[in-house]
Amino acid sequence: MARSSSPARLVVALSVAAVLAVFLLYTSLAGGGTPSVSPSELATKTGEVSLAGRVVGTPTGDAHGGGLRFVLEDIQGKDKQRVAVVYKGSVPDLFRVGRDVVVTGTQRADGTFVTKPGSMITKCPSKYQAAKT
Amino acid sequence: MAELGRAALIVTFGLSVYALVGGAAAAALGRRRLALSARNALIASFFSTLVAALVLVAGFLRDDFSLAYVAGHSSRALPFAYKLSAFWGGQEGSLLLWLLVLTGYAALAVWFARKRARDLVVWVTPVLAGIAVGFGWLLVAVSSPFDTIPTPADGNGLNPSLQNPYMVAHPVLLYLGYVGLAVPFAFAMGALLSGRTDERWIVTTRRWTIVAWTALGVGQLLGAHWAYQEVGWGGYYAWDPVENAALMPWLAATAYLHSVMIQEKRGMLRVWNVTLVSLAFCLSLFGTFLTRSGVVSSIHSFTQSAIGPWFLGFIVVAVVFSVTMIWLRLPQLRTTARLESLVSREATFLYNNLLLVALCLTILWGTAWPIVSEAVRGEAVVVGRPYFDFFLRIFGLPLLLLMGIGPLVAWRRASLRGLTRIFAWPAAVALATGVALIAVGAGSSVPGLIAYTFSAFVLATIVVEFARGTAARRALTGESVPTAFSRLVGRNRRRYGGYVVHASVVLLAIGVVGSSAYDSVVEGKLARGQSLSVGGYTLTYRNLTEKDAANATEIRAVLGVRRGGDSLGTIQAGKNAYSVEQQVSNEVGIRSDKLTGEDLFVIAEQVNDDGTVFFRIFVKPLINLIWLAGIVFVLGSVITLWPDAREERRLATRYATAGERRERSATT
Amino acid sequence: MSPWLLLGAALAVAGVVVVALPFLREPMPESDELHELDATERARLDAEETRDRALASLKELEADHRAGRITDEDYRAVVNILRRDAAEALRELDRVRGAAPEGTRAESANSA
Repeated sequence: MARSSSPARLVVALSVAAVLAVFLLYTSLAGGGTPSVSPSELATKTGEVSLAGRVVGTPTGDAHGGGLRFVLEDIQGKDKQRVAVVYKGSVPDLFRVGRDVVVTGTQRADGTFVTKPGSMITKCPSKYQAAKT
Repeated sequence: MAELGRAALIVTFGLSVYALVGGAAAAALGRRRLALSARNALIASFFSTLVAALVLVAGFLRDDFSLAYVAGHSSRALPFAYKLSAFWGGQEGSLLLWLLVLTGYAALAVWFARKRARDLVVWVTPVLAGIAVGFGWLLVAVSSPFDTIPTPADGNGLNPSLQNPYMVAHPVLLYLGYVGLAVPFAFAMGALLSGRTDERWIVTTRRWTIVAWTALGVGQLLGAHWAYQEVGWGGYYAWDPVENAALMPWLAATAYLHSVMIQEKRGMLRVWNVTLVSLAFCLSLFGTFLTRSGVVSSIHSFTQSAIGPWFLGFIVVAVVFSVTMIWLRLPQLRTTARLESLVSREATFLYNNLLLVALCLTILWGTAWPIVSEAVRGEAVVVGRPYFDFFLRIFGLPLLLLMGIGPLVAWRRASLRGLTRIFAWPAAVALATGVALIAVGAGSSVPGLIAYTFSAFVLATIVVEFARGTAARRALTGESVPTAFSRLVGRNRRRYGGYVVHASVVLLAIGVVGSSAYDSVVEGKLARGQSLSVGGYTLTYRNLTEKDAANATEIRAVLGVRRGGDSLGTIQAGKNAYSVEQQVSNEVGIRSDKLTGEDLFVIAEQVNDDGTVFFRIFVKPLINLIWLAGIVFVLGSVITLWPDAREERRLATRYATAGERRERSATT
Repeated sequence: MSPWLLLGAALAVAGVVVVALPFLREPMPESDELHELDATERARLDAEETRDRALASLKELEADHRAGRITDEDYRAVVNILRRDAAEALRELDRVRGAAPEGTRAESANSA
């Protein structure tokens, strides 16, 4: 006796529903990702954010001691703002003044951005683009 | 010389356009000579692309810095091998490599299929040509490798992180994989366009798919090894968009590879197969887009470039085209064969498809969501590791288990008694392993424990299969064990080669789990004479050395290693400071234990002026199984690919007689 | 004009020649029709594929049974279904071949 509708369709439909359910549950619990902001947008956000900016000025301090202090400026835009950052943890080798970096953390009441240890990522000058001399 | 390069690319573009338009017209109108002409154009486009590629290679080898691309990625002091690999060190050269591989594959594919699948090839030609038109356009009009500049004295040099053997091989293998998926895709589209839903498109492209899939897999492992040794943050995979870009098509291709076996054996899952191969190809286009267009910011960052919108356009065209063709041919693709039981080999492969696609799509979402979010909501987000790790476990662990179940469960309908007989012994082995592991403390990570138990199960099924097969052969032929074994594998290359590949995936899983769920780490600042202990090792910081090498200053911290009272020698970790490129690179120290497969991994994070060094030290158990898995993977693939004379003869008879008959009737 | 540009032009000419080759070789062909498989040939291909599939399933069942992967009961439960499928496939193939033109019947008799 031939079945009128194959169980395959049911299996596929149920699986899709199951995946969607797991997915929605996960993202609603864990959040849909950390917002990524620039220094000028920092004021608008509370909580943990991913701050992207260009290193300016002179970094001081020790990332493995009391904390590396440096200043991040907006990468793009006309009205560039700056924010002071305190970072502890591994510092990528590519970190230097003029490099674009991303750190995750929160802004303190006094305006300093305190980072999650080890959360710094640098954007390497493109491997696929000739280095501008 | 740039003029020859540019001209050659224009010729390629022209030939591809002709192959696309002429080929499509020939197929639609049924014109034989036009079809041959279009096929010739496609094959010729490879040769003109080759000329362009050779011009670029010559530019690198001759230090021709009048070419902007050569000046941007090479220098006089660059070693020979890296002058060659600088070819694909940048966007324009990578696109040219893509086109070269594409036209090369296209030429081979239409040439070898010309007799067996003639009515397919007439449609395959315009599809492959269409892809070539896309890349040709980019190379001719948008991003040319032959732009010239006033000649500088010396070039900018190659990024130091690309100056190692891994970065020579990794991109090439990835491209052989990405582009290789275009061939089965084109044949699938050819089958749909021509209305031929018989098996020929699958049979003709089976080896292409395996080669592309293997290349893509090995390319990723090389990339992971590079990340581990050269970038040296302590890991080998960061769920970076560019890494995911290669993983997604590989997962789709894995699903496709398995699903076509069901079409071969039972004629089922046809719609799945054309969908999966289209998904794999569109993802490989997407992967190239992600890596080359600068649309997602990542560690492998790249600048925003002009090719982005074009690439997006190609992907949209490819997706719309595939979906349309599948939709139009849906009635012909449906079969009468039905899934008889939810516990059967057919069903297991269906679950396999579902899990792999689910994993692939969740990775796609995690990779694309930041882009979409920024485009639609104007708000940028970053999707972190936990998301990917979660879904890898949810989907990956069942997939691991299925690897053991699939090859053994019965076709059509599995009875309870049959299941018990087949799986009792492997299940017992798995359980025993699980208990033993808990006893040694592996219970600290529940997913890790589950993964190990499943791995034991799969390995047990593979061993049992080889044993059973050898024993059955011996019962028939009375051969000795080695002879029976080798003949067994020789006669059933696809099956036993497949088992070897499964074994490699299990090794990979064990290595990944061991090094991520059961690793240890310690960090601290050490002055000379001080020590740190981790995972049974004690490391004592002895001294700092500084050496001047060819293009860099090498600073190394030397540590003495002891374990359980025995001295294991020394290990060095530090930094290289490159003078020309003005960059510092991390040089980690790795000590691999041959017996246990674990690695002692030392990073000298910060070298301070007072001679103290901040170290970060890992112990990563079983990590070397990952690299071993790569070798086993290639071995298994080679076995499955090995030509089978009997199979070839059978297929030739089936497909050739139609051709002969036609030719005979054409001349009467 | 630089020698390189000349080479480029030569390449273009070569391309045109290669593309025109089929037309140059057969300026007046008897038939320019693209050989498409007609309905009979397609039916034959499908029938052959079905036959191969059925025979391969049977062969695999026998091998699995001999090797001990399948119990006697499971074997008995399935073998008749597969044998019936194979017989049906062979019948269908014969029917399709029988509907094919003269020359093929002799040829298929030779190759069977």
